[in-house]
Amino acid sequence: MNCKKAGVLISASVDGELSASEEQGFLLHLSECKECRVEFDDAKKTKLIIQEKIIQFKAPDALIVAIMQLTSLNTKEPHLYE
Amino acid sequence: MDKTDPTRQTKTRTKKESLSREERQKQLEFQNEAVGHLNALYNYALHLTMNPSDAEDLVQETYLKAYRFFNSFERGTNCKAWLFKILKNNYINRFRKNSKEPGKVDYDLIKDFYHSIKDTRSDTSEAESDYFHSLLHEEVYQALHSLPEEFREVIQLCDIEGFTYEEIANMVESPIGTVRSRLYRGRKLLRNQLEGYAKKYGFNNDNDQ
Ligand SMILES: [Zn+2]
Repeated sequence: MNCKKAGVLISASVDGELSASEEQGFLLHLSECKECRVEFDDAKKTKLIIQEKIIQFKAPDALIVAIMQLTSLNTKEPHLYE
Repeated sequence: MDKTDPTRQTKTRTKKESLSREERQKQLEFQNEAVGHLNALYNYALHLTMNPSDAEDLVQETYLKAYRFFNSFERGTNCKAWLFKILKNNYINRFRKNSKEPGKVDYDLIKDFYHSIKDTRSDTSEAESDYFHSLLHEEVYQALHSLPEEFREVIQLCDIEGFTYEEIANMVESPIGTVRSRLYRGRKLLRNQLEGYAKKYGFNNDNDQ
């Protein structure tokens, strides 16, 4: 496997989305290529940063109430494509 | 959403009582399956609209539609992914068509958001001492939003919402290979943005070649 091919697999590897055979080839390449190893670590770190730093907000109470009403009463017609 | 109007209340009750057993079954199942994803949907809607009241509208519409078409939800598949797809379609139909230019971000709004909750959340991983940990929440947010939408979207769906590539591919209506390469390129772009912030603080990048 060359760097170009390995590069395409970096993100998928970070996400655990490689097939077994892809993974094998990819890891082999990483073990012998420092550049790709650095890129792999960078990608991993980038994912981590997103997970850590992007804050998830809680839905406002009014919205929760509205959704509960809507799913328990079902009296309104949807306006889907206004 | 107070139902103070007495006529409306009566109407509502009559309707409720007339619900079939099947309908009630559906409601229960829907509440079990779908309502638990409310926070995730709201956050996704916020990311898309950048506006809290638009986000609420979008989530409401999504649930209305989802409930209406709940029979078409394939049992055993990821309900969250199904809801996200509905929300995304609604967003495109309702918001993107007319008003906002895509990619236009209200940074003040983001800042307000982040400041309002700043102190309520503590950072968990102090262990690693590299410059990324000095990045502020809103900087990462800003960096994410500076990406072209096709990249931002897959990063959001993958890293924040934890969807599989297959689910993402289905949501963005592209092959898995495309999702792969968008994530790869998107993360690279994001990395560059973040390094820009880091440099601002005078951190050096050890990996400079
Ligand atoms: Zn390489």
